[in-house]
Amino acid sequence: MSTGASSGGPVNRRHFLRQGARTAALAGGGVLLGLLVGRTSARGTVWQIDPQKCVRCGNCATSCVLKQSAVKCVHAFSMCGYCQLCTGYFEPAPNDLNTGAENCQCPTAAIRRTYVEDPYYEYTIDERLCIGCAKCVEGCNQFGNGSLFLQIRHDRCLNCNECAIAKVCAGDAFRRVPVNQPYLLKAISH
Amino acid sequence: MTTPGPRAAYWEYVDSLVLATALGTALWLIYTRRSRRGLIALSIFSLIYFGFYRKGCICSIGSVQNLAMALFDNGYAAPVSAIAFFALPVAVALFSGRAFCSGVCPHGALQDLILVKPLKVPTWLEQGLSVLPFIYLGAGVLFAATGTTFIICQYDPFVPIFRMSGRTFMVLSGVALLVLGMFVGRPYCRFLCPFGAILKLAGTVSARRVRVTPDLCTQCRLCEASCPFGAMRTPETGRPAPRDLPSERRQLTLALMVTPLLIFAGAWGGLKFSPTAAMLHPSVNLAHEFLANQGKPAPTGALSPADLELQRARQNPRETLVASAKVQHRFDMGTTLFGAWIGLVIGAKWISLRLRRTRTDYEPDRGDCVACARCFDYCPNELVRRGVISPVKEPATTTL
Amino acid sequence: MRHDSMMKRRGFLKAASRGVGTLALGTVALSSTSKGLADSGKAPNPFAVELDHLRKVDPKLVLYETANLFPGRQTEPRRFCAAANGLLYVAGGKAVRILDLSGSEVRSIPCPDSVRAVAVAPDGLIYAAMSDHVEVFDAEGKPVSTWTSPGEKAWFSGLAAGKDDVYAADAGNRVVWRYDRKGQVRNRIGVKDAARGVPGLVVPSPYLQVALGRDGLLRVNNSGRHQIEVYTPEGDLEFHWGKAGGSIEGFCGCCNPIGFALLPDGRHLTCEKGVPRVKIYSAQGEFEGVVATPDLFPENSRPGQPRRSDGMLGGLDATVDAAGVIYVMDLVTGEIRSMKLKAPAPGTTAPQFKKEKA
Repeated sequence: MSTGASSGGPVNRRHFLRQGARTAALAGGGVLLGLLVGRTSARGTVWQIDPQKCVRCGNCATSCVLKQSAVKCVHAFSMCGYCQLCTGYFEPAPNDLNTGAENCQCPTAAIRRTYVEDPYYEYTIDERLCIGCAKCVEGCNQFGNGSLFLQIRHDRCLNCNECAIAKVCAGDAFRRVPVNQPYLLKAISH
Repeated sequence: MTTPGPRAAYWEYVDSLVLATALGTALWLIYTRRSRRGLIALSIFSLIYFGFYRKGCICSIGSVQNLAMALFDNGYAAPVSAIAFFALPVAVALFSGRAFCSGVCPHGALQDLILVKPLKVPTWLEQGLSVLPFIYLGAGVLFAATGTTFIICQYDPFVPIFRMSGRTFMVLSGVALLVLGMFVGRPYCRFLCPFGAILKLAGTVSARRVRVTPDLCTQCRLCEASCPFGAMRTPETGRPAPRDLPSERRQLTLALMVTPLLIFAGAWGGLKFSPTAAMLHPSVNLAHEFLANQGKPAPTGALSPADLELQRARQNPRETLVASAKVQHRFDMGTTLFGAWIGLVIGAKWISLRLRRTRTDYEPDRGDCVACARCFDYCPNELVRRGVISPVKEPATTTL
Repeated sequence: MRHDSMMKRRGFLKAASRGVGTLALGTVALSSTSKGLADSGKAPNPFAVELDHLRKVDPKLVLYETANLFPGRQTEPRRFCAAANGLLYVAGGKAVRILDLSGSEVRSIPCPDSVRAVAVAPDGLIYAAMSDHVEVFDAEGKPVSTWTSPGEKAWFSGLAAGKDDVYAADAGNRVVWRYDRKGQVRNRIGVKDAARGVPGLVVPSPYLQVALGRDGLLRVNNSGRHQIEVYTPEGDLEFHWGKAGGSIEGFCGCCNPIGFALLPDGRHLTCEKGVPRVKIYSAQGEFEGVVATPDLFPENSRPGQPRRSDGMLGGLDATVDAAGVIYVMDLVTGEIRSMKLKAPAPGTTAPQFKKEKA
């Protein structure tokens, strides 16, 4: 009536079988873990967008698991032309070069345009407002140097086991990158 | 341009450490303190930390996929946390049962805490549904190993709740499971969870087991209906009535003979299923779209994501087709094994239903028990031991 | 008894709190269903940038049609020019490829670095601009000399060679260097100078170009200001023309035109990127018509195309040979097309071109 292990033949046999199975599972698991640990990098990975592959499909704004996407536009100032008529900031054929919403690309007015000197203007992204829609990125790539581009901001990214945007990325631009180099930045090159 | 660092850097180790501590606490609460109340507290902690604070990523349930992908994809190395989150609960289960499920897993904790009025699931339904986790596990491994998608993560019903955002369908399925979970104990754990399937196997061969009471079982049957998860087993002789012996033998032999056939049939069916399954892989899907749209003019104007993808394929047609063929080849292998696995799972279930076991006491099934500690409170011996009720003075006169 | 009622109360409270908790969770979950199931699928991109209206050209304005189309035989083509000897010199890759006017390769001159621009002097010497200096070759392609670089910032993107001078458009320094034929700098053109009325070159992307007219004056594209400026070799700004705008007579986008060439009669041929089109303007800058419409360059500036970080791949370049035939090169596909005047449609008169002013 009491503890099973001490009484009866079949129970002992079962006990033995159980122990055998456990040993086998441990050995198998050990080999598996050895394989995996041998291959793992001590540092983990995070998701990032390769700006050279990004095709500005708009999915970054709509597919992130966060209410406001972890993907934001960032600006490589070294590549920027500081254009007066920035096609990232303005519609392709604006009526006027002012901040009127009808002239601007950004649906959330997340780009700030500040005067530097004639005829140069600096454009900075307000990350609190940016939704990662890539409208400005496309505008800048179509006419300009492509200094605006999308990156996953790691202060927001939850680093999902599987990135929901990566699954639908039209450019196949998402990949896992080492955690110590978590950004794939654009830079100027001759 | 600012480049804030990822949070994940040291969190991986923090998470692994918290997991190990929580597992240790769970073991202590189950076996030493034998405290349901302690497990509730631990469940709340796990729910808050792993669930709402760490947003359910990374979790043990999904880690199976990371490991499968790491084994089959040379470009991917599983992070330390994924390995720890897989290995620690399994190791614990091999020695001491499903302590992970009891109050460490946020999914289990959530379902455990919302259980209001458990209804008994009919045995046929319970047994039938209990093969689903194994099939889901196989599917999860198949799609992860082929680099297609992490379906276990994609269709996780509770992570959208932890994050308080997600695809409508997943949020709705999470809510539906929660409502169901008020009346059916842990529906996800029992009938879906692929990691639960692994822990169930490990628990079956565990060294230590959860017992209703460490003292003598008086077979009072008070604990018989205590388990909301259908894990309580009644005593059995292990021998059928002599009259039933031949028919039971026949049935067992039949099950043993049919199982290999099931495996072969599954493998064959799996291979047939391969092209369909492979369409879930973006490379294969793109190649199909590319071939279907060959000769049609390129779309103009504002392009949809699908158009942009097609444009990418058109610019690299060779790469597109080669990538697709590679994936398709992997799928042929994978779905064959997956089909065989389904056959094996069904066969094994069948055989297990035809086996009789010797059981002297009322005790939770090693595999099914999630160590929630509910049954402890139903055992009069246990209550006496804890001093909740006073022992009966004179020996019981009634016989069982 | 006391014990019992306590249990009941506790049980009730427990059940109630669970119910409330579940309800709260359900509400939270439902309220967070703002995201649709709308997986991308075939759904359009709500954030697409619509440029189609800019790409449509009134057919009445199109004066030219393609006469011949041949490959430029150049990887990463950047600029090209037609020389007086009846050959095309295509800059790009790490060589200058010399083609005859039907597109067969005559010769290839290997260069130490990728060639950004090329020009041929009246005496046949070939000048090839690397990113930061000029290499000189004789007509057969033998190296003659290597000029010194004006510095690290240099980013040559255009070249013109006259009888006595070579002009190098330097997008990095936003200046046109005037060299003598030996490679000595004579002066700089286009530097901002309020006293001389020079507004300064604005070069957001490295497509600065220079051309030498038969009148001895230089044309420089001030693309950031959407203008073509006309300078004397000494650097005095004679006049300028051009305006920004998506309409057909304006220069679209942030920084256009990216290239231009001069017809023998002094009229201007302009190339734009973003909305890839080639147009023709009078010597004074009045819009006359369209040479090549955006639909001739479907591979150029497709939506979603990555732009290389050196900023100068894509777009168009144009040149005019001694006989006045226009050639347009697509910098994405590397194809060169020669253009001929369209036969006038019945019932219309052929466009009348103004004569160059003396």
